[in-house]
Amino acid sequence: MAVGRKKISCPPYAEGTALSERDISERRVTIFEDHPNLVYSWTAGQAMSRFLNELKNGKLIATKCEKCGRIIFPPRIYCELCYKPIDGWVYVKDTGTVQTFSISYIDPDARPLEKPVIVAVIAVDGASPNMGIMHILGEVEPEKVYIGMRVKAVWKPENEREGAITDIKYWKPWRDEND
Amino acid sequence: MEVEIVKGLKFHKKQDVAIVGAGMTTFKRRLLETGKELSYFAVKQALEEAGLDIKDIEMVVMGSAPDAFDGTALKGEYLLDGAGGSDRPYLRVFVGGGTGVFAPIAGYWHVASGLADVCLVVCEEKMSCCHPHPQSAFKYIWDPILDRPLKPNLIWIFALEMRRYMHVNNIRHEDIALVSVKNKANALDHPCAQVAEKITVEDVLNSEPMALPVRRLDVSPPSDGAAALIMVAPHIARQLTDEPVWVTGVGWALDTTHWTNRDLYFPRYVAEAAKMAYRMAHITDPRKQIDVAEPYDPFDYKELHHMEGLGLAKKGEAPILTREGVTARDGDLPVCPSGGLLGVGNPIAATMGVKACEIYWQLAYRAGKRQVAKEVTTGVCQAWGDLMQVGTVMVMSNKR
Amino acid sequence: MIEKIVDPEKMRHFPPKGGKIELYWVYTSGRAGEEFFRKLREGKFIAAKCKKCGHRYFPPRIYCEFDFSETEFYEITGEGCVEAFTVATLDLNEEPMEEVIAMIKLDNTDGKIIHVIKDAKEVCIGMKVRPVLRRPEEMKGNISDIAYYKPV
Repeated sequence: MAVGRKKISCPPYAEGTALSERDISERRVTIFEDHPNLVYSWTAGQAMSRFLNELKNGKLIATKCEKCGRIIFPPRIYCELCYKPIDGWVYVKDTGTVQTFSISYIDPDARPLEKPVIVAVIAVDGASPNMGIMHILGEVEPEKVYIGMRVKAVWKPENEREGAITDIKYWKPWRDEND
Repeated sequence: MEVEIVKGLKFHKKQDVAIVGAGMTTFKRRLLETGKELSYFAVKQALEEAGLDIKDIEMVVMGSAPDAFDGTALKGEYLLDGAGGSDRPYLRVFVGGGTGVFAPIAGYWHVASGLADVCLVVCEEKMSCCHPHPQSAFKYIWDPILDRPLKPNLIWIFALEMRRYMHVNNIRHEDIALVSVKNKANALDHPCAQVAEKITVEDVLNSEPMALPVRRLDVSPPSDGAAALIMVAPHIARQLTDEPVWVTGVGWALDTTHWTNRDLYFPRYVAEAAKMAYRMAHITDPRKQIDVAEPYDPFDYKELHHMEGLGLAKKGEAPILTREGVTARDGDLPVCPSGGLLGVGNPIAATMGVKACEIYWQLAYRAGKRQVAKEVTTGVCQAWGDLMQVGTVMVMSNKR
Repeated sequence: MIEKIVDPEKMRHFPPKGGKIELYWVYTSGRAGEEFFRKLREGKFIAAKCKKCGHRYFPPRIYCEFDFSETEFYEITGEGCVEAFTVATLDLNEEPMEEVIAMIKLDNTDGKIIHVIKDAKEVCIGMKVRPVLRRPEEMKGNISDIAYYKPV
């Protein structure tokens, strides 16, 4: 096959007209702005409904699969590896280990936050390794956080809980008595 | 007994698949043109390069990521006329960011199966429609119950993954920042580039923090753009050109959606997808057999992460290769010679223009100023997306 | 078999009262749209003709979708014929309303648009209609710049 060095530069041209933000905000070009009113309510399903109800009681619940022996957290009603129904419910502890973390300076719409939040993936004690959830860390300086840090959930007072993941206010550094 | 199952092994293709033309629009933060018009410009360029007319196109594959960006439900159908899909079999595929390579994989099925002899692949994204910020669309990819009440920004998952990657492999941010420096400089030679510039490692490390360790210059920008690629059967390729580029292997894989249940330091999904593609392409030692690579680089650490997933570097070795200049355009294994997403822009699915299209242009020796120094026969491109769970890989070669 | 929630009160939805999708979109009208709405402000209508096959697009486009050739803009009157119509009696929120919505084929083009017909005692297929534009200072650069169609 005749493959050799060709002096063709691709793409040969770059079509498209760039606009600045002001072109849009000052309506220098014709635009149509649409604010649809879409409201959703997501069904939690069997596993998550139980999980949320248990959060109200200040407890974390997981499910277990007897085939692979995993304690699955967050809970689901099936084991996605064995592809079978789970075999039961298990309570796990509200303590865990920081797997990884980040210090966020922006909100979901990429606007700057006044005070940065520390977000972490926390592997929960009592569940199988790597079974974690994402949550916020508190009562700790951003510089003091490290991977492997032990943390404990700080719950909202019982009367303020509504059965949401935010019933845990945040996770704070914690030292095990056995350590 | 445990039997190792390698996906894609039972594959008997009807015919080989060649790429004969590619095109792309400029990538910019905001473009005046509608998505249809952008698709048209990309397709037009690809048709010109291939020397084909739209009437020669038998089937069309459209790749476009979530409808939430363009703000049109049924986006595939909306874009149809600009993508040349009128009165033809037309299909939209989408696996989030992985679409940039998944769409050409779908084009490959069309031709390899013998269903079509000429298949057009188009990818489009117009992220600027989405307000208050394109990132806002990502609010709705999180689990509504477990994650969304925490008010997460999409950058969080990357920051968490990057931290884990740095921690397990003991990598410093300075080494990762080199990727951003390299890609943004490479993009200076790309006519479509959005954020090409000469920067230093210090610039990256001192840029505005977004979600530490991720800073502003670690991230690719949101963009508008489109890209197109034409795939044909061997007997058509022969009539059109002396130097088609052959697709020798394709692979894709997804990991569990429960991303907090995985160890994030290694992209298993990419490794699985690469295994499938390499088996098909008869590649046993990717580091030696692959001459040029375009791994997905929406973040600088992601290029390194994916190089390791693709087997182009051992675990934790990718930053060393970068530091030693192996991945530079004149190095032994050029990586992202186009400038990648970090330099050219990141219009989610349309990144096909700097992934699949770029490898095609490199192997056809048509990349102009971006042409890598070494002689090339085999290249690999890869994309990644969804909730950090999909890997899509395509191997190409200019030898059949 | 594991215990399951059977009491519907205990099955959860989230957020309990529903969560609004807080996105909104700003669409540009593109090269062809830009030209169309600019001309509309001057009270003129344009369509686009394919340079190759001669197909006449309305609303105008910059490309022909059938042979991917370029198009050229030309002026039309904006008048047309009713091809089909319906009487809408419920709005998006299912509130009662009454409006005649018609598909109108524009004269001297191959294109059709959907729009409202007002000031008509009776609507029938084949009826000639002409557009009524908003005042230029009220125009926003979208299809509502044409206020409605009325019988000629």
